[in-house]
Amino acid sequence: MFRFITTRFLQSLFALFLVISATFFMVRFVPGGPFTAEKAVTPEILRNLEAHYGLDKPLYRQYLDYLGSLLHADLGPSFKYPNRTVNEIIADKVPVSAELGGISLGIALVIGISLGTLAAVKRNTWIDYVASSFGMIGISIPTFVVGPLLVLVFAIYLGWFNASGWYMPADRVLPAVVLGIAYAAPISRLTRGGMLEVLHQDFIRTARAKGASEFRVVTRHALRGGLLPVVSYLGPAVAGILTGSFVIETIFQIPGIGREFVNSAFNRDYTLVLGTVILYAVLIMGLNLVVDVVQAWLNPKVRLEA
Amino acid sequence: MCGSSPNVGRPASRFRQKGLQFAVALILGALTAGGFLPGCRRANVAASDQVLRLSQRNEPGDLDPATAGLPDDFFIIRALSEGLLLPASKGAPQPAAAERFTVSGDGLTYTFQLRPEAKWSNGDPVVAADFISSYRRVLDPATAAPKADLFFPVKSARAFATGALRDFSQVGFSSPSAHTLVIQLEQPTPRFPDLVATGPWIPVHPATVAKFGRDWTRPGNHVGNGPFTLVEWRPQQRIVVRRNSRYHRVNAIRLEEIQFLRFDSGDTEERAYRAGQVDVTMSVPATKLTGYERGRPAEFHRTPLAETHYLAFNTTRGPLNDPRVRRALALAIDRDVIVERLLQGGQLPATRMLPPVLRGASDVGRRPQEFRHDPAEAARLLAAAGFPAGRGFPKLEVTAWSPSQSRVLEAVQEMWRRSLGIEAGILVHELKVHLDTLHTGNYDIGFVATLLDWPDGLALLSAFASESPENFPHWQNAAFDRALTAARAHGDRPSQERDTLAAELLLIEDAPVSPVYFNARNWLMSPRVRGWQDDPLWTRFYHDVYLETK
Repeated sequence: MFRFITTRFLQSLFALFLVISATFFMVRFVPGGPFTAEKAVTPEILRNLEAHYGLDKPLYRQYLDYLGSLLHADLGPSFKYPNRTVNEIIADKVPVSAELGGISLGIALVIGISLGTLAAVKRNTWIDYVASSFGMIGISIPTFVVGPLLVLVFAIYLGWFNASGWYMPADRVLPAVVLGIAYAAPISRLTRGGMLEVLHQDFIRTARAKGASEFRVVTRHALRGGLLPVVSYLGPAVAGILTGSFVIETIFQIPGIGREFVNSAFNRDYTLVLGTVILYAVLIMGLNLVVDVVQAWLNPKVRLEA
Repeated sequence: MCGSSPNVGRPASRFRQKGLQFAVALILGALTAGGFLPGCRRANVAASDQVLRLSQRNEPGDLDPATAGLPDDFFIIRALSEGLLLPASKGAPQPAAAERFTVSGDGLTYTFQLRPEAKWSNGDPVVAADFISSYRRVLDPATAAPKADLFFPVKSARAFATGALRDFSQVGFSSPSAHTLVIQLEQPTPRFPDLVATGPWIPVHPATVAKFGRDWTRPGNHVGNGPFTLVEWRPQQRIVVRRNSRYHRVNAIRLEEIQFLRFDSGDTEERAYRAGQVDVTMSVPATKLTGYERGRPAEFHRTPLAETHYLAFNTTRGPLNDPRVRRALALAIDRDVIVERLLQGGQLPATRMLPPVLRGASDVGRRPQEFRHDPAEAARLLAAAGFPAGRGFPKLEVTAWSPSQSRVLEAVQEMWRRSLGIEAGILVHELKVHLDTLHTGNYDIGFVATLLDWPDGLALLSAFASESPENFPHWQNAAFDRALTAARAHGDRPSQERDTLAAELLLIEDAPVSPVYFNARNWLMSPRVRGWQDDPLWTRFYHDVYLETK
């Protein structure tokens, strides 16, 4: 197991280096730069700006400088927000996205796993049909439709919540529900599929034959195997949910990292693009590693193959 | 319910307990949230009634007048500090930090008298040296101020900004006394007061900048001389400013606080407006224009902008290097249809380059060279250029930067097909890619909007001078360049306006561009807000604003 984790960790480190290098050069080769604006600046002012931000140095020099500062965990100053560093922006925004993501993930897991399990256990009954329809609808209707609809009903007509913003606890409810439902839908379908497969296996029949109650069979025996597909889905999903959803953050005007991620690319804020990419890559790789370990724990077969 | 054996049962029940706890926590959370419900609609309202909540579409890069770029940045900067003069929503700039100013007979020396009673928000007196120090900072190449060119009419300012001159004492600023500021110009500039009223001319408190460096614009550090002070800046959320008790006209300011609430999207902003969370919006979603205009006319507002949306023809490429082809394309566009049937937002058809607010008093009205809709003449010109009924004409691409512009371009595409028998493609790029293709000349026809720092027709036309970085058509015309130089050389406004109009005529005749419409801004404002003013360049005036209390 230790060797397994170490190998995966070293692989991840190498992948991270590739991601950083590729992003560094790709973002530079995109047409337009941080100072390309609708109101063009004169050539002499452009020279001043480039000298100010070190963009007049040769590209390889800038790359080495950047790698050097990365070793000190310094992601550099932002081009678009000159009085803030990328470290500050990330430290400021990630907790917001993580809070929203955490609540949404809770909602998604509770709704998704219960509905999926119920649907599998009560297969081909009305419960199954309702749960499966929820899954289909949740996957098919995008958040940018559900979000404004909920705002219309609960903020504008009923006046229970703010239409947008991130100022008070109540402001978490609508976005978390919308994001939660979006993730609950695939989770419920994966759980149902996984559970159906497991419920037909021999060890379940054995458990039943031994006289275990249905509840015990489902929660103690079946769920552990039935959740395997959900766990592999959760790795990238958690990374996505924690690093923010651009759509939800825009609809509800939430100051999270998702908006910074997308807008930094539009602004050609080179350092912020790199900072958010690194954050996202580290999270994805870290969580995938966690998923592998959890899977090994849940499924002895994986453990043995490793 | 749990298994009979305690050993096996424990983990299962623990699992269930945790699940239960979580569900209970969730329900409790929802209920707690419910407890907030009655009051939460007024989330952004403080204790006082005089709190104005404005929509802010772009997060300011910084609140430093020297490095700020967008008009949106100055929405906030102008609440925090004021320059020598303040632009007026109509007419000449008004006194602000300067009580009055005089111009010498030769038009080369401006003398500004500062208010002796004026103070910075930390209590320091506002003196002429503060202004000179601020202007030096803008011109210093190390500051990399994007709009330093707004100072170039000042004597030796350009030389200092480009590094050719190191000695700032040779630049045309001096202060014979603490409250007198004298500015020497390179040549008479009749519109100089308008330049002085622009955002980059707003001063900074030199000691604060020296002390905090790039962090001087943070709440707690910021010192300004304007009607409000900075109390909160939550990036991508809101910026809050509160009335500055040390401001020289504080008794005239009725607003207690202004909140600039950040909205990325026009739809989110409109929903927040309907929920009563914001008093003034930046825009109205295009799909809801007519609904608001007819249904809620008291809240629907429209400001004509000094903004021309035009097609730039890449004059370095054939067949667009032929003026007859360019004129044919321009004359085939029916601008009335675009404005009245498609846009429906108060835009005006643009048959020339200068929008109405920039034409000046000496405007002669409509001239025969303007781009009226004339398909017959367009077809004749195209035939004369060697493409009768469009035969042999290559397929050109029209590039834009926003999908919302596609419908205008599709209309133009159809008009060209019908009147001239030619085909054109439409290509929508991301904004910076679009701007980059315009700069590098890697396009056929580009859709562009003018953006001005100050209300000056000559400044708008100067974009098309041979050496201008905004000369997107890459058009070289010596007569036009000479006309601009001649217009700039005049010391009096009427002659300058007359020559500006003459230069505009040269531009229309040779048609490196085809103006399409003069833009307008539609927005919503709560009926509680009174005394609101803004101008065609997006400047807002907070001094007379107040909220009507019931």
